[in-house]
Amino acid sequence: MGSMFRSEEVVLVQLFLPTAAAYACVSQLGELGLVEFRDLNASVSAFQRRFVVDVRRCEELEKTFAFLQEEVRRAGLTLPLPEAGLPAPLPRDLLRIQEETDRLAQELRDVRGNQQALRAQLHQLQLHSAVLGQGHGPPLAASHTDGPLERSPLLQSPGGPHQDLRVNFVAGAVEPHKAAALERLLWRACRGFLIASFREVEPLEDPVTGEPATWMTFLISYWGEQIGQKIRKITDCFHCHVFPFVEQEEARRAALQQLQQQSQELQEVLGETERFLSQVLGRVQRLLPPWQVQIRKMKAVYLALNQCSVSTTHKCLIAEAWCATRDLPTLHQALQGSSSEAGVSAVVHRIPCRDMPPTLIRTNRFTASFQGIVDAYGVGRYQEVNPAPYTIITFPFLFAVMFGDVGHGLLMFLFALAMVLAENRPAVKTAQNEIWRTFFGGRYLLLLMGLFSVYTGFIYNECFSCATAVFPSGWSVAAMANQSGWSDAFLAQQPLLSLDPNVTGVFLGPYPFGIDPVWSLAVNHLSFLNSFKMKMSVILGVTHMTFGVVLGVFNHMHFGQWHRLLLETLPELVFLLGLFGYLVFLVAYKWLRVTAASAASAPSILIHFINMFLFSSSPTNRPLFSGQEMVQPTLVVLALAMVPVLLLGTPLFLHREHRRCHSRRRQQPDEDTAGLLDLPDASLASQGSDEEKAGCPGDREEAEFVLSEVFMHQAIHTIEFCLGCISNTASYLRLWALSLAHAQLSQVLWAMVMRAGLSLGGEMGVAAVVLVPVFAAFAVMTVAILLVMEGLSAFLHALRLHWVEFQNKFYSGTGYKLSPFTFAVEDE
Amino acid sequence: MLGAHCPGGTCAHRSICNSDSHPGLGIPLRAMTAHSFALPVIIFTTFWGLIGIAGPWFVPKGPNRGVIITMLVATAVCCYLFWLIAILAQLNPLFGPQLKNETIWYVHFLWE
Repeated sequence: MGSMFRSEEVVLVQLFLPTAAAYACVSQLGELGLVEFRDLNASVSAFQRRFVVDVRRCEELEKTFAFLQEEVRRAGLTLPLPEAGLPAPLPRDLLRIQEETDRLAQELRDVRGNQQALRAQLHQLQLHSAVLGQGHGPPLAASHTDGPLERSPLLQSPGGPHQDLRVNFVAGAVEPHKAAALERLLWRACRGFLIASFREVEPLEDPVTGEPATWMTFLISYWGEQIGQKIRKITDCFHCHVFPFVEQEEARRAALQQLQQQSQELQEVLGETERFLSQVLGRVQRLLPPWQVQIRKMKAVYLALNQCSVSTTHKCLIAEAWCATRDLPTLHQALQGSSSEAGVSAVVHRIPCRDMPPTLIRTNRFTASFQGIVDAYGVGRYQEVNPAPYTIITFPFLFAVMFGDVGHGLLMFLFALAMVLAENRPAVKTAQNEIWRTFFGGRYLLLLMGLFSVYTGFIYNECFSCATAVFPSGWSVAAMANQSGWSDAFLAQQPLLSLDPNVTGVFLGPYPFGIDPVWSLAVNHLSFLNSFKMKMSVILGVTHMTFGVVLGVFNHMHFGQWHRLLLETLPELVFLLGLFGYLVFLVAYKWLRVTAASAASAPSILIHFINMFLFSSSPTNRPLFSGQEMVQPTLVVLALAMVPVLLLGTPLFLHREHRRCHSRRRQQPDEDTAGLLDLPDASLASQGSDEEKAGCPGDREEAEFVLSEVFMHQAIHTIEFCLGCISNTASYLRLWALSLAHAQLSQVLWAMVMRAGLSLGGEMGVAAVVLVPVFAAFAVMTVAILLVMEGLSAFLHALRLHWVEFQNKFYSGTGYKLSPFTFAVEDE
Repeated sequence: MLGAHCPGGTCAHRSICNSDSHPGLGIPLRAMTAHSFALPVIIFTTFWGLIGIAGPWFVPKGPNRGVIITMLVATAVCCYLFWLIAILAQLNPLFGPQLKNETIWYVHFLWE
């Protein structure tokens, strides 16, 4: 069978890596991604391991890389993707990379600092020139000396020394939101001994944030020493930039010119700085991506080397790793190749192991999604039967049973087909949206689900809830009308009439493919469909569960537990088929043998089944077949007799085996080799089942056989199976429930939306225009409710049926996956 | 109407009744074929049998051979079983469809 049937064989290998070649070997193994290292230094803390210094250096480098990356991002550039296939660098290259990185980082920091300082300076210059510039506006000396005379009668101030009416100026810039407060405070504090004019300047680039910020410049003219001091204190308090303001206009103009010259020079210098910065960033862009990959790989190699133990001679490292048997030759070759470069040779050999190996199942992009949904429940134990290859078909099939509609299935199929055909496009592969990635990851799943839904839609005869008469219907209304004399007058009086299959010619035979289209016209179509779908669910359920029990046979055979075939599988099958297989038989028998002629007295399967368990009978319910009164009790007794077999069989057998081994061991105490014959058997068996801790001889340290534990485990299994049979069979009725819900929803949508739109009267033009929004509503609701909501719902229930009802018959799912040491970045 | 064409009962009884065109309306009548049970069973059993039993022999050798064979067999079993259940459920109906009088009028004149 294909390799998906069960896990591949995985063995534990021991690697002897000479210290000179250890790094190269592990680096090569990382490129190949074949082995999973076991941590041999688990008891040692991370700080005491051998290569902790190297790991730390790599981590520091990674911090510097992060800083460089941030700088690149801030400048608005992107890092190009590194080319593939870069190997991990040699240890001596680490020093060189470290030096270069530090140099680059330092340069970048210096340049950035310079740039900041220059920008701040430029900002100051610009503010100063703006302040000086505004002074040219309103005429100064005249109005200012007039103003205060008008405004304040206190010009003849009480203080004698204030004879000089010389006007002084304070000029500066303030942020606009503080300007009003400043003005008010100045007015209140200086009581009108000043005149302040505020003006807004065009936005200047803020040196820190780089965004344009508006500033307001002010010019305060005042007289008096004390006022001057107050003003300065106030402006200090408001963190304004104050600049010297010369009264004479020529001097101011000269100062302005000087400032402009200065700022021009500064801008040139700034330009040069920024050019240099972009040069440095360009170098970073070029060098950083490969370094990042290389250092990541190096760190991974050192972390893997930390897991190895050192041999007593300190000449080589010993590593233990899980490797698939199929990959052993590649492993040999790789190690030989890497270690021969250093002139030494690495050794690989298999060692036996008690622990359960990890599970390895190779999948391609088609089977990966199905294996994914099985693994989501639990990764299989080593070498137990893998349900995934069957799930590829049964999961979409059970989904389709609950979703069956040709139209909806077709839409789902086309959507999945679009995704599959576009799967190699880079835009699609690198999309980041979570929900899209979920759908994209399950594209093959959706493809099969859509395909099966189209098939079940044809069988249910539903296309957007409408039936199609591909073949002529098997029910003839004309025959009924003629035979029963349904005249027009009679029909006008009777709103509902039934077609009677007993009347000749009414029923012409079963519809060859699916459900007859006449049922979609019938008022009592649910009566028929419910009966059909419930029976279908039970039949599918019993078949699925029986298949699960049969798969358990392969597990028992593989692990050599032949007794379980007789003591577990056989009683399970008898129980399941004796009770529920019999139910399926009753259903099929009634379908085949009970005709319409005897419809009035048709036996009820439900009553028969209930009476079977109660060991009673109903007189009004005639038997289906002769001998039924004998067969039913026999089956029940047989099934009940299987319960103690299931409960006690395996534990008692194991107990007997254990006692036999013990007595044998006591007779031959010094023959260790006697156990070797049983060793492979026992180790396989112990890998296979939890309760068989009774190893046979040779395993002195094997866990002792605790009878009570085994009994407990078996009792739980028995109860779970027997009660589970009943509850799981009933659980499959969700197939009926969900398909009914889907059919009803889809019918409601059709009748209420589309049919109402199509049956609108009026002229052609009006109806056509109205149909557009009607169809839009229909389409949106179909996709949102029927495809997305019902699709997710059916998906969930099909998943539950697989995980619980199917897999608990044979699958334990308590293993772990082989996660090889590899440099490939996980995209999951 | 049809009743006038074939007097009551004779042509409705599990026989093929072909008529070229409806006397009144001039549209061709659909043939009232009795559906046999054996023919679909033979056809579909053969079809799914070919897929499920003969198909596996033709799958080319490769790493995926086992998976493809499993898929073919599972598809054949599931689809065949589902179709079989549908046809068996309608083989001997115990009751017939209950139709509204408008539906009866319409079907009487359109389908037959």
